[in-house]
Amino acid sequence: MLPRRYVPPVLLASVVVIATSGLVYELLAGTIASYVLGDSVAQFSIVIGLYLFAMGVGSYLSKYIEQRLLERFVEVELAVALVGGVSAPLLFAVYTSWGAFRAALYITVSVIGMLVGLEIPLLIRLLKFRLELKDLVARVLALDYVGALVASLMFPLILVPKLGIHRTSLAFGLLNAAVALAATFLMPVEHRSRIRMRIQCVAVMAGLIFGAIFIDKGVVRAESAYFGAPIIYNAQSPYQRVVITQSPRTTRLYLNGNLQFSSDDEARYHEVLVHPAVAVLGRKPRRVLVLGGGDGLAVRELLKYDGIERILLVDLDAKVTEVFRNVPVATQLNRGSLNDPRVEVRNEDAFTWIQQSDEPAFDLAVVDFPDPSNYALGKLYSLTFFRYLRERVGVHGAVVVQSTSPYYARKAFWTVATTMEAADFHLLPMHCYVPSFGEWGFLVAGPESRVKQAPRELLLGPDKLRFLEPSLLPEMVQFPRDMSRVEAPVQRLNDQPLVSIYTREWDSWK
Amino acid sequence: MMRRRELLQTTAVAWFAEQALGDDRRITGELKGASHAVGHLLRTAIERPPSNPPERAEVVVIGSGASGLSCAWRLASVGVPTRILELESFVGGTSTWGEDGVTPHPWGAHYLPVPEPGAKGALRLLSELGVLTGWDAAGRPRFRDEMLCHAPEERLFYRGQWFDGLVPRSALSASERHEVDRFLSIVESFSERRGRDGKPAFTLPGALSSTDPELLALDRLSMDRWLREQGFSTPLLRWLVEYATLDDFGASLEQCSAWAGLLYFAARAFESDQLGGSRYLVWPEGNGYLMRGLRDLARPEIQNAALAYALRETRDGVEIDYVDVATETTRRITARAAVLAVPGFIARRLVPKAPPRLERTTSSWLVANLHLRRRPDATQAWDSILYGARGLGYVDADHQRLRDGERTVWTYFRAHGGADTPGIRHGLLQKKWAAHASSVVADLAPAHPELSGELERIDLMVWGHAMPRPTPGFLGDTPWSHPPMLSRRIAWAHVDLTGFALFEEANAHGLRAAEAICDALGVERGETWLGA
Repeated sequence: MLPRRYVPPVLLASVVVIATSGLVYELLAGTIASYVLGDSVAQFSIVIGLYLFAMGVGSYLSKYIEQRLLERFVEVELAVALVGGVSAPLLFAVYTSWGAFRAALYITVSVIGMLVGLEIPLLIRLLKFRLELKDLVARVLALDYVGALVASLMFPLILVPKLGIHRTSLAFGLLNAAVALAATFLMPVEHRSRIRMRIQCVAVMAGLIFGAIFIDKGVVRAESAYFGAPIIYNAQSPYQRVVITQSPRTTRLYLNGNLQFSSDDEARYHEVLVHPAVAVLGRKPRRVLVLGGGDGLAVRELLKYDGIERILLVDLDAKVTEVFRNVPVATQLNRGSLNDPRVEVRNEDAFTWIQQSDEPAFDLAVVDFPDPSNYALGKLYSLTFFRYLRERVGVHGAVVVQSTSPYYARKAFWTVATTMEAADFHLLPMHCYVPSFGEWGFLVAGPESRVKQAPRELLLGPDKLRFLEPSLLPEMVQFPRDMSRVEAPVQRLNDQPLVSIYTREWDSWK
Repeated sequence: MMRRRELLQTTAVAWFAEQALGDDRRITGELKGASHAVGHLLRTAIERPPSNPPERAEVVVIGSGASGLSCAWRLASVGVPTRILELESFVGGTSTWGEDGVTPHPWGAHYLPVPEPGAKGALRLLSELGVLTGWDAAGRPRFRDEMLCHAPEERLFYRGQWFDGLVPRSALSASERHEVDRFLSIVESFSERRGRDGKPAFTLPGALSSTDPELLALDRLSMDRWLREQGFSTPLLRWLVEYATLDDFGASLEQCSAWAGLLYFAARAFESDQLGGSRYLVWPEGNGYLMRGLRDLARPEIQNAALAYALRETRDGVEIDYVDVATETTRRITARAAVLAVPGFIARRLVPKAPPRLERTTSSWLVANLHLRRRPDATQAWDSILYGARGLGYVDADHQRLRDGERTVWTYFRAHGGADTPGIRHGLLQKKWAAHASSVVADLAPAHPELSGELERIDLMVWGHAMPRPTPGFLGDTPWSHPPMLSRRIAWAHVDLTGFALFEEANAHGLRAAEAICDALGVERGETWLGA
């Protein structure tokens, strides 16, 4: 047993740890809840409220603990270490595997709150014979609030960026277990359960350390392999799950877990999508149709041309366009393009719109749909669709269609090309390396045969571009032997060979 | 054969589904039905003569199904107005459709295979409706892509999982695969074969098929017998063929003429790039699309709930007596001519001298429209078939949509192909909504155990006399020889004349009757719209 004079400092130090870790668990729960459920204000508000209430319940229950206070304190502390330590991985696991997420969240928050609520009264009672009441209350509460400050500063600045959510959770579990272990040294040597409690502490610590190592290989990988970086926005629309992640380097958009762009290299993709097509058009476009592309990044590129009078963007998912109009990190990327007065956003199915539209012809149509991985998307690459598309651009107009990777899905790429030709388009196939996606393909097309001539100049100065320059164009229209044209069928609504070709080709790379 | 465990599972799932639906008060619906009760008034001769002064009409058509509307369309093309008397509250006969719910949906016939070159009337109609958009250099028709069934066309639930198409090739044993291939190659040779008269062995309309006695001899066999004689024995192949005979003819293998059974598989000639995929024309409302199109082209005066009960030919026209069911009054129309676009068993009651030789067995159908909040699974084919089920599966009315959407209507079909047609009919008409609805849900349960959770409503229709059945010998000694005119001024237009109910047949009979009426009335009708 330590000398008695060490008792107050050790216990008071543990107040800081308890307060810090308590708040950290609470912040973790709030963060996970807002990742998973969206609406962070509501989630934080509910979690904090529930947590404080549970602490109150714990404080009240502390009156029923009458004997062996130190021993109980160690046990409670160990329980906090265990529940709090595994709370973040546990909640994620529940979310991904079982689904009763809200129940698990509220139970976890309540249990941690109650245990933490038990601790402070126990500590006060442990210290009451060693300090005067006014000193005791002053120190304990002051240190409690100091702990809160430490937690609230460390959490966003150090813990989440450096440790990540899971390891923060496990690390604070370890800290709680360490406090418990330290407290056992305050027990009299002859105390029967001293050894047993130390063994328990060490076991919990070993478990948490093991977890911290394991989590890297397991849960964290599951989450990070998916998103690779902290999620800063998460919402579920009627059509898909919209996730934006942000790491110090990049911002990424995922739809249903599929990467849509990475801020690192999206300029490559969007510049190649838009500017060669404008060059083929041969004049600065005034009226442009954008199908898909609800992130507003293609629109951003289009707005670089003076003379734009109207851009109509038709994207199915109102959630996506809403995010790219309002969420700051998104509007930074697209430079608020969707809020430009010349841009009209319509949340409609593109096929229905293109069938029914009676808008005057557009100069240029930019088609940026997800790849044809299922029959519903396959319809947007069908002969029928392209026939309608041809009617939507004037005789002298141009279109560009993102058409998957000519390297990874070679036949799929050329199936789209064959189909567009069957719809009486002349084609200029192009490709470009986009690190996030690999070698990517675009089909520039138009009703006139002159579109087959590769452009030599761009209609935009180099100061407005991050990647593209005229000298790259000749190579982009050259298809090396491993991507060159192969015979491919026409994608018709009543057959849709593209869907199986596409799936087979991409699956072969898995 | 279904293995024992699967059978037990299927039964158990079906039982639970039936129980669940029994308790689930949220699922509602109604039992519609062709007005058999009113129709049966015809059995008891109506004595009371009409009291009002007779109404006048040019040509009266009795029945607004595919034959009647086709007839009205042809007459309208030469400026002869028609008045249609229709017993039911709806138009279109067994091609009628529903418009309630999230999408229009069929109540009966629900697709049209791309018509044969000889089905001139059907091709002309498709052209006038804008479904046929033109002809390519080789003389092959082109169709509106949106209306050819979008991929995936059909899928089969077989031993616990879905397969693309109707044949679960990868799950078959070598002998099953061999039989399927052998069957398809026989069918292929029939589809290329011509009779000694130079006509195709099998084509539509049936009247254009060869009358080579060697081919007609097939009509003396049942499909069951033919399959046996050809050495086909696997249950899978027999199921596959019976699916076809039930689907098109409402007949089991034993009840179906081998000639008709082979026609189903062998009558197709148009090949083109466009038809490399599905060759079915489908619409949300099924063949209701064609009925609506005919109605809009013909613009006849249609009177629903009108039960014609007597026709008499007079010196210069026809007198038609009918009951206005709503007011229960009897009325008389005097017209220059009349067309019976009704089945033979009704035609014979209206005109006692209607041809007695064409007595047809009629099959009964149960059709259910399941209004769903959400499709229970992600793969969406137009036609979903369950191996070994009691029904023929279901079609998704919203399949041709080009937008996203979860709500839809599934139209479920069950053809009763057994021999005891009066008994089957009686049993079907006795059953109440709940019994029919739970048997439908139970039939789909193996593939969709949680279906009842997604159901908003099940509406049902019992078609007591859905279609004539091409039983063995249905062609008779002199096939295709019945003239449309029953007397000087009365024509008969119905698929009973053929013996099986396909749109091309109904359409051809309607056109033929209309042209015969024109000739009888001395109306200039120009070139015939029918095939050679």
